This record gives sequence, structure tokens and C-alpha cells, in this order.
Amino acid sequence: MRCSLGKVRLGVFSLVLSLLVSSCGTSAKGKYYGKTVAPTDGIVRYVTGSEPRSLDPAIGTGQPEARIYMALFDGLVEYHPKDMSPIPALAESWEISSDGTEYLFNLRKNAKFSDGTPITAKDFVYSFRRALSPELTAENAVLAYFIKYSQAYNSGQVFVKDSSGKFLLKEAAEPKNEAGLPVVELAKTSVGTQTEFDKFINEPERLTVAGTEKERTKLYEKDTKLKDKLAGMEFVPVTPENVGVEAVDDFKFRIKLNQPAPYFLGLLAHQFFKVVPQHTIEKHGKNWTRPENIVTSGTFKVAQYRPYDTLNLTKDENNWDAENVKLKGIEFYPLEDQTTMMNLYKAGSIDAIFNHTVPAAWIREIMAAYPDEYMNHPEAATEFYVISVKKPPMDNVKVRQAFALAVDRKALAKLLVVKKPLVDFTPEGIFPQYEEARKKVQDVKLKELNISEEQWKNRIFDPERARKLLGEAGFAVSGSDGNFQCQNFPIENVSILYNTSESNKVTAEFMQDQWKKNLGITVPLKNMEFKTFLPTLTKVEYQGFGRRGWNADYMDPFTYLGLFYTEANDGATGWSDKKYDELLAKANRTIDTEQRFTILAEAEFYMMQQQLVVPLSTAATNWMKKPYLKGFYPNPGTLHAWKFAYIEPDSAKWDKDVYNIMKEKDSLFEEQLAKLISTQTQFEEKSKAEAAKTATP
Amino acid sequence: MLLFIIKRLLVIVPMALIVVSITWGLVRLAPGNFYSGEKKLPIAIEANIREKYGLDKPWYQQYAMMISNVVRGDFGDSLKYEGQSVNEIIRRHLPYSAILGFSAYLLALFIGLSAGLIASLKQNSKFDYGAMSISMTGQSVPNFVIGPILVLIFSFGLYLLPPARYNGILSLIMPVITLAAIYAAYIARLTRAGMLEVLRSDYIRTARAKGLSEWTVLLRHAIKGGLIPVVSYTGPALAGLLAGTVVVEKVFAYPGLGSVFIQALLNRDEPLILGVVAFLSIMIMIFNLLVDISYAFLDPRIRYE
Amino acid sequence: MENETVKGTSLWKDAWKRLKKNKLSVFGLYFVAFIALLVFLGPILLSYGFGITPDQMPSNSDLLRSMPPSLKHWMGTDDSGRDILARVLQGGRISLMVGLISTFVSLLVGVSYGAIAGYFGGRIDSIMMRIVDAIYSIPYILIVIVLLKVFEGKNTPEFIKSISNTFGGGEALNQIFLLFLALGLVSWLTMARVVRGQILSLKNQEFVLAAKATGVSTFGIIFRHLVPNVFGPVIVYATLTIPSVMLTEAFLSYLGIGVQAPYASWGSMAADGIKNISIFPWQLIFPSVTMALTLFSLNFLGDGLRDALDPQTRKF
Repeated sequence: MRCSLGKVRLGVFSLVLSLLVSSCGTSAKGKYYGKTVAPTDGIVRYVTGSEPRSLDPAIGTGQPEARIYMALFDGLVEYHPKDMSPIPALAESWEISSDGTEYLFNLRKNAKFSDGTPITAKDFVYSFRRALSPELTAENAVLAYFIKYSQAYNSGQVFVKDSSGKFLLKEAAEPKNEAGLPVVELAKTSVGTQTEFDKFINEPERLTVAGTEKERTKLYEKDTKLKDKLAGMEFVPVTPENVGVEAVDDFKFRIKLNQPAPYFLGLLAHQFFKVVPQHTIEKHGKNWTRPENIVTSGTFKVAQYRPYDTLNLTKDENNWDAENVKLKGIEFYPLEDQTTMMNLYKAGSIDAIFNHTVPAAWIREIMAAYPDEYMNHPEAATEFYVISVKKPPMDNVKVRQAFALAVDRKALAKLLVVKKPLVDFTPEGIFPQYEEARKKVQDVKLKELNISEEQWKNRIFDPERARKLLGEAGFAVSGSDGNFQCQNFPIENVSILYNTSESNKVTAEFMQDQWKKNLGITVPLKNMEFKTFLPTLTKVEYQGFGRRGWNADYMDPFTYLGLFYTEANDGATGWSDKKYDELLAKANRTIDTEQRFTILAEAEFYMMQQQLVVPLSTAATNWMKKPYLKGFYPNPGTLHAWKFAYIEPDSAKWDKDVYNIMKEKDSLFEEQLAKLISTQTQFEEKSKAEAAKTATP
Repeated sequence: MLLFIIKRLLVIVPMALIVVSITWGLVRLAPGNFYSGEKKLPIAIEANIREKYGLDKPWYQQYAMMISNVVRGDFGDSLKYEGQSVNEIIRRHLPYSAILGFSAYLLALFIGLSAGLIASLKQNSKFDYGAMSISMTGQSVPNFVIGPILVLIFSFGLYLLPPARYNGILSLIMPVITLAAIYAAYIARLTRAGMLEVLRSDYIRTARAKGLSEWTVLLRHAIKGGLIPVVSYTGPALAGLLAGTVVVEKVFAYPGLGSVFIQALLNRDEPLILGVVAFLSIMIMIFNLLVDISYAFLDPRIRYE
Repeated sequence: MENETVKGTSLWKDAWKRLKKNKLSVFGLYFVAFIALLVFLGPILLSYGFGITPDQMPSNSDLLRSMPPSLKHWMGTDDSGRDILARVLQGGRISLMVGLISTFVSLLVGVSYGAIAGYFGGRIDSIMMRIVDAIYSIPYILIVIVLLKVFEGKNTPEFIKSISNTFGGGEALNQIFLLFLALGLVSWLTMARVVRGQILSLKNQEFVLAAKATGVSTFGIIFRHLVPNVFGPVIVYATLTIPSVMLTEAFLSYLGIGVQAPYASWGSMAADGIKNISIFPWQLIFPSVTMALTLFSLNFLGDGLRDALDPQTRKF
């Protein structure tokens, strides 16, 4: 009897096993990963990551939300589906003043909200002012700080007026404003018709100080001169009307910056700058984003919303571009578990997944087996370890260099499969023009500093020199290959801090192993849940190393280099350096791109000589889409302009070998894009012709 | 008995307030803030946020404000999910957790009780071993392993069931089985132990000696006493199931209260945490009261003064 | 020691005899002992005999990851190329320790707490049980987060440090022991309820009344007469605590507040392995089968012990 029971159990076991094996087998044989049938209802089902924080584009800060906002709301410009450069959206064309501080947008005249209300320049003024209002406490507000007086308004600051009724000016009081953005002497040029507001906003920048006496007292403590200066002055609050945005007429919208920022136009595609309906928000208050109230401005509108389950969008027929929108709707699913979404994808329940979703261990297999679906493309995201540079022993630059040199970054990249080693601080392959400038600067600097080519090339991995440097710093490494020891290194004063995630863990374990192997130092690992990790990192409470990643906010190297700008102090290393700050300030004053990049490259070189970070890897996109979903590209930010996406029912026309998808010309897509961009190119040509005409006589 | 029940009911609200207060303290002690993110916020924006949510006031004022709101049953809005009230969020996800939890527990009771009864009646036989082995699987193999294996078999081997997301009754099957597996093991073993205890006790022997049939003895006398450990366990287990079961919800992308709660904890979404904790503590006390009442029915020797 | 108990009373001898009747329990006992020995000695043998340690990765030039079982790596290697056998053995130490410590706490605190509450009944019972309800309602994840923060680094209590120092010390180990403490703090609650329920039903039985009449102290009644009579459910529930605590630990590790890398536990290894079930099944199978077998054995041993120590059984 016992035997039979055993047999039954064995039978069940082998049945289960054979099912497991067969289910793996079927997946490996097919041309596509799992069930691949083009949906006929015109609806794309997409997994976008965690549950959105809000449907209000000024509130949500993450990428999961950004993708939803791109469907629900339009802005002045939109991200190019392939390279993320700005392309026309609600602004059909624009011009920029010669000093780069004033932007004039010509809006479309047929734009409407989802309830049919027309969208005018006034709506943009309202949306910008609202997003910046201190009451909304938008965490992204900092992105708009280039707009004149926006920071002052957002932080509740005041102007200072003397007894004669004149406002004190900024330059006279301090060389920099609070965000650490340099104040620039500019030629006062403008575009478009002159207005009262234009005159006001082009006056020299006024001084703004903290709005409350309490906070001003704090400022006085730091700067005693300021107290004398402000004594007996009148304080005038900065109002939303002071912010540098203006409706010149119904369809002309003007923005004034406090400094030229060559990447500002690209920044305007960001969710923070999307247009929202004033009438709905004023009617419903904070409840305006509820599905029953919400009014949107984008190509899609909310049909049904079940948080933590589904967000259903349908095409908005009121949208100005509705005739070019090919999808009937989008279903967003908030999911975070990688295996679960891969299962849904395999079962054909979803058509595409967001970035970094294929589990690391699967990538090699998936990449080889499903070349028509797996997206491996450059991404504007880097990973590095920041170093707490004020605490010994890491306060010694030689120790920092030793640790950076003792990591085989190529092996790390291999371990993480689709990633590439990060050599310097800004990633390779994202800003080609900047990289050229950087190469030149590096060549000059190497000669200046007498660094051999060999040593420079080996900056990516040079354990020999690492040990030498560590010895020079007073921590001699003894032993031989495979068995190094560094007896007197204060191991209790360093650790590798990282927040919980599978790939962070793999990297941290690898780093620990590398330093053990190459320096004989076993740095303890310290894993923390995200919210515990954050303050420890940003307040530089950690010792040794902290894991950091950076996704570009806009397509310019400044998004990376600005991290170590003293007053922005986002780098979390405790480092602050006048020379570096000055270089960045100088770069931002420079309008010529090449010159500007050269200065930025000098700053990067200088910063890297200080070894504030251990550069690790540049990410690559890592997601899948079904081959029938077309017009959907792996751009560096994984942000999709949904109006280009469509479902191809004819399997002969499905995407093939998507590694080359960026080069391929899909006529349907290219035509739509060309038509969209044409308004701006035509406008530029027209202005050029006009300029030529005025120049000839 | 009635007095006992009234007393216990009266104590529920103050107890829930104590639990909420302790949790509030813990949230405040925990590092990080609901608004802290990867990017450092400018000081002015942070100050605005703190002012907006009253975080700039002294702690006792904040506490007083929180308690006075909670007493009125108003937990306010979630800090993370702008414009959604806590009550609304709980009301939205509770039904999902309740359906999943109750069906899983019913299945677990069915499997667990049968296995436990068989095992106790045929102690040390192959029936005992077989019943216990099967019911123990859910205990020995983690549910985050059982779930995906079920998915592999039923979704990608047999193509019978959807691998994840709630979409009608079919998508409940695998989550229910996965969840029931754990509870079945507990119930089976507690039943077996409880039954063995009772079957050997004096009053059962007396009943047997009286010549009552084995079935009468079992159903009328033994089962009642033998179930006490299971009943003890059921109270907190059911309350826990209502509050959601994170692992299963994650594996099957099921919109229950569990993931919402865990996310709230990790986000430091204070109002949402307090709301769920208050709800959970009330449920625990109600279920435990029911358990205590049922003791009296199961075993006449238990009396409450 | 064994001799002494056998001589002192035949209780243990009888129990052993009865335990032997239950074949699965005997198997369970041997297997648990075997695993305990393996987990204790295995890593030492592996590292001295074969030079394999749990967190050792292949040298830079040959990053051979996720290799199937071979002569060199009996259980294959994981994503980072580490030997799974070594990790299973090392993880076993942590998993078993988590289970044992929590079970110990739940036996010590849970049983006495539940017995006292159940025996005295009335107001004492009400208050004690409401405290249990309260602790049960407070999310333990929050407790763990706060505990780890409060006792982090220099603030780690001395007794935790001294325990962790005997195992090699370091912050990662400190945190593991803090975690054990936190899990222990919440693991006794259901045990208290189970015991209280049993005691409520037993305390009015004749033998208790008899003991009272003969003047046995309250303490004596509770711990000599009542508690031995609830051993059955207690042992069963204690062996049920072990797997549930191990799984809780795996869940906490998943949230980033559990066992610190590069340490692993069976639970966390299984959680890592399940993702790769279709491609590298050995990464799931070895840790989870080891864990499942151990838990099966522990549970059968628990049932056997229950039967063996059952005071009523003794009368037959």
C-alpha cells in the first residue's frame, strides 16, 4: 500500500515536472514570446509601473505618470518619439530671442480641451502660474526656475522697494540667486510685440528676499550687510502676475527666462509644463482629477479609472490632432512585479511594458530568442557610487581614486548584460556633440598634467595603480594576486549604501567582491528600504559609498554636471568647489554651443580628477513590445508620444529585428512626423526669408 | 454573557485609538518623509509642503489634530495619492481582499478540517501521513513559489487560466488556491492536535463507554472541543486576510488591500497607514470577540464572568 | 545528560518509545539533525576542503554565471556565479536561527502569557488579551523599520553586538540579529491566544480543582498542571511558527529590511530563484527543496512529539 501511495505521488510529481518543462519548451520554440495576436479593438494595453500619484500633471513626478500625462495632456511641445528632441504640439511654431532668454510661441487656433473649450494662451499662463504656486507644492517646480521670478513666486519671496519707490536690483545685492543659478548680464532683446508686461519683465532683475521676517532673520545671520541694506525698506510680495509668462494675444504665448538655457525648449515637453483646464480646476478644486470631473487637453481622455487596477483612456475627438491619432484607446495597468508583467506579456494580455522590466537573468536568452521584440537601445541613465568625501579615509583623493580604479567596470557591464561601462561622468552615446568637445578638452588636459596615454586609457580599470595609490595614501596593500590584504584600512569607516532592488544588490555584491579581490578590503554592504535610504544619502550621513543613478531630465550634459553644483547640492557627496561652480556658471552664460560644451567638459574633467564618484555603468533600455505595435520607439527616456502608436494587423508588416528600429523608415510614422514638424520649419524659413528681405535694402 | 459582549464592544474604540496613536508615533520615528524623493527638494518647496500639511506645528498639536479627526472617523486624504480620501481607498480595495480572503479560508477549512480529522482518527496510519503531507505542502513551500508554479502549469502549460490581474471569477482560482494552501496546513495540524487531545479525554471515553456510536461521539462531542485551537487561530487569521495578503496580491497583480497598505507603509503615507491600522485593529477585536463567544458554545466548561 | 533524564524518570524514555512508533517523525528527527549538522559544519568543510565560500564570485576574466550543477558546483551557481551549495548551507544557518529564536520566544513568552491570562480570566484576561490585539494590529513592518533605524550603527545594544561578535560580527550580522529580535517580538502573539483558549477550557476540569483543593500554589497549578496539558497544541503551533517566521523573514528581505547581502536565507534564495524557474531551475529547486524538506521534517517531528508527550496518551 505504501508503495502505491509513493507511486501516486511520484506520478503527480512527474506530471507537474513535465508540464513545467513543456511550458518552458513552447516558449523557447516560437518566433514570438508567447501569444502574439494583434488586437482588433484598436486598444493598446500597456504596463507603466507603479500606481500614478495623481492624474494632475503638475503633481506626479515619476516616469510612470509621465507616460500617462503624455496621453492625457498636451504641452507647447512634445518629445520626438525617437530622439526626444522637442517637436511642435500645441505650439505650431516658435522663435527665440538672440540672447536666448525670450521665447515666443505661436499656438494652434483649433486646439480644444476634452469638453470642447478652446485652448488659448491664457490657459498656458494659468497652467504655468498654477504649477508654480506655493500652495500647490509641486515637487517639480524647480524645473521651471529658469523662468524669470518663478522661483521667487514659488518660494513666497518679496521684492524690496526703497523710500523713493524704486526696486532694489539683484546684481547689486548678491552675485547669485538661491538655486545657485548664476545671474547674467544680458542684452535686453525680445521677440514679438512690445507690451507693458514685456517692458516690466525685461527690466534688470529685481532683488528678491525671503517673504517672512523669520526667514529673513536667518539670512541676516549669514550676511550682516543685508540687514543694513534692507533696513527701512518696503517689502512687496512677488505675485503670480510677476512670473515671466505672458499671453501676448489669444494665440501668442511668451516666456522670459532669467538666463539663457539652451535646453529649455526641450524641457518644455516635460509634464510640468502641460496645459490644464482652468474652468474645471476652479469648479472642482482638488477633486478635479476624479474620473467624473476631469477635463484633459491631450490626444486621449479618461474613460474609466480603477486605481491599482486599470486606467482606461479613449481617443479624444475634440483634440486638434485627432485625425492623426490611430489608436482608439489605451489601457494602463499599474504593475511593478517583473515576473508578473512578463507573464501577462507572454499570455498576450499586454502589448508593451515599460523600461527595465525584463529580469536581468533572462536578458541574454530573451535577447537572442526574440530579436523582434526585445528593446536594447541607449538610454540617458547612468549608475554610479557617490563618495562621502568629507569623512576619512575617503577624504583623501588618492584613496578615492584607488577604489575607483579597482573595479572592473567591463566585467560589471557584462554581469548586468545590456549595460555599458560608464567611463567618465556623463554617459557616452547620448550627447555626441558634447563628447567631441570632451575629447578635445581631455587631450589638452592630459598634456598639461603630464598623464600618459596608457594611464588615461586604463582609468576604467587599473588594479595595479589602485594598490599603489592606496599605498601612497598610507594604506599599504600586501600579498599577491588572489590574496591581497590591506591590514590598516579602517574598514569600520566605510560601507556600500544602497536601496532595495535586485539589480542594486547584484551590483553591490559585485563591488564588494572586486574590492576584496583587488585591494584586499571587504567593504560591508548596507541595504536600506527606499525611504530610510533617502535621508541617509541626501544628508550625506553615510560613510564610504552610496548608490546613485541619474536619469536625464533634459537632453543636455548639464543635467548630469549640475548635480555637483554647490547650492543645488544634489550630488550627496558633501563636496563643494568654487572653481567648479564658476565653470558651470560660465557655461550657462555662453550661448555658442561648442564653446559652452568645451567649458562643461573642462568642468567634468576637473570634477573627475577629484573622484567624487565611482562611475559604474550606462543603462540601456530593457523592455519588450509586441511586433504589431508600431510607431513606438525605444527612445532614451522611454517616453512615448501616443499619437504615433498604431496596431498593424498585417503580420507581414510587423516590426522585425528591432535592434535597428531607430534607423528603419516606417512611412506611416515618418509622414505623420514630417507633417507635424513642418509648421515650425516653414515658420523658420519664412522668418529667414523676411530677415533676408529686410537686410538687402 | 451579554454583559461580557457589551463590555468587549465598548472597549473596541478606545483600543483602536491607542493602536492608532502608537502607529502614529512609529510613523513619525521612521526615517524619511512622504515627500522625500530621489531629487533633493529646494528648501522653500519643502517648507511649503510642511506648512500645507501642518508638519511645522509642534508634535502635540499635530497629534491632537490627528486624533480629533480619527475620532470623527475622518482620516483625511492620502498624502501620496492626491485627492483620494483614505476611507474611499479602503472601501475600494476591501471587497477584493474580502472575496479572496473568505474564499481562500473556506477552501482551507474544507481541506484542513478533512485532513486533520482523517489524520486524528487514523493516527500513525498511511492516511495520517498522506493527509498531513498534502496539507503541509502549503506550509513548507513558500507561497511566492507555489503561485508562480501554478501560473506555469495552468496559464502556460494548460492555457486554462489568466496568469494575473483580476478579471472575473477565473482569475480568482489560482490566488485562492495559493492562499488556501498556507491556511490549510495550519488548520489541518491544529485540528489533528486538538482532536487527538479531545478523543482521549475523559468525557469522550465516558461517551464511548455509554455505547454511543463512534459517529455520534465524534460529531456531537469530540469535534466541538477539538476545534478550539482552530477557532483561536481563525480570529486573527481572518482579520489578517481582510487586511490583504501582499505576496499573493503581488504575484497575481490582484487589487487587494494588502499591497495598498504595504505601499502606504513604504511611502510613509500616514493617513492611509492610520486608516488601515484602525480598520485592522477593529476587525481583530471583533473577530476575537466572536472567537471568545464561540468558545462558550464549543465547550460548556468555558464561562465568562 | 541523556542518561540522567532516563534514570530520573521514565517519562522521556516512554516518550521516545512512542515517538519511534511514528515513522515519519523519526525520519523528521534524523533529517533535522542531519541538516543542522550540515549547516553547521558544511561551510567550514567547503571553504577548507574545496576553497568555496558563499560570496565568492568567479575571477574577472571568466564570468561564468548561472551554471547548472557540475562536479565543482554540486548545486550549480547563481546569477553572480556564486556556488549555490555554499549559499544554501550558509542560508540554512540564518533560516534555522530565525526559526529557532522566534520559536523559543513564542514558547517562552507566548505560553506563559496565554496561560496566565487564561487561568486568571476576567479583567486580567481582558487587559492582557487586548494588549495582544493591540500589538497584533500594529504593522510589524513599521516596527522593524523603526527598530533598525533606532538601533543602527553605534546604537546597537551591547547584547546584540556580543551575540553577533561570536559569529564574526559586523554591521550586517548586527542587523540580522536585530531582525531576529524584531521577529521574536511579534511571533508569540498567536501562541498566546492558542494557549489561552486551551487553558480556558481546561481550568475548570476536575484535576485542576483537585490541585487547588490540595493547596498547590497558583504558579504550580498553571505551570505544573495546566501547561503540560496543552503541550499538544503548543508543540504543533510552535512547529507552525517556524515556517511562518522564515517566510516573514523572506518577505522582509524582499522589502529591504531583512537579511543583509551578501548573506542570504533559504526564503530569500527561493524568492530570487523563482524568477528564473524557466531558465535556471536549479536556482529555485535546491534552496526550496532543502527548505521544504526541513520544514516537513520539523512539522512531522512536531506532530510526533505532540503524540509522544501527550499526557493522555501516557495513560494507555
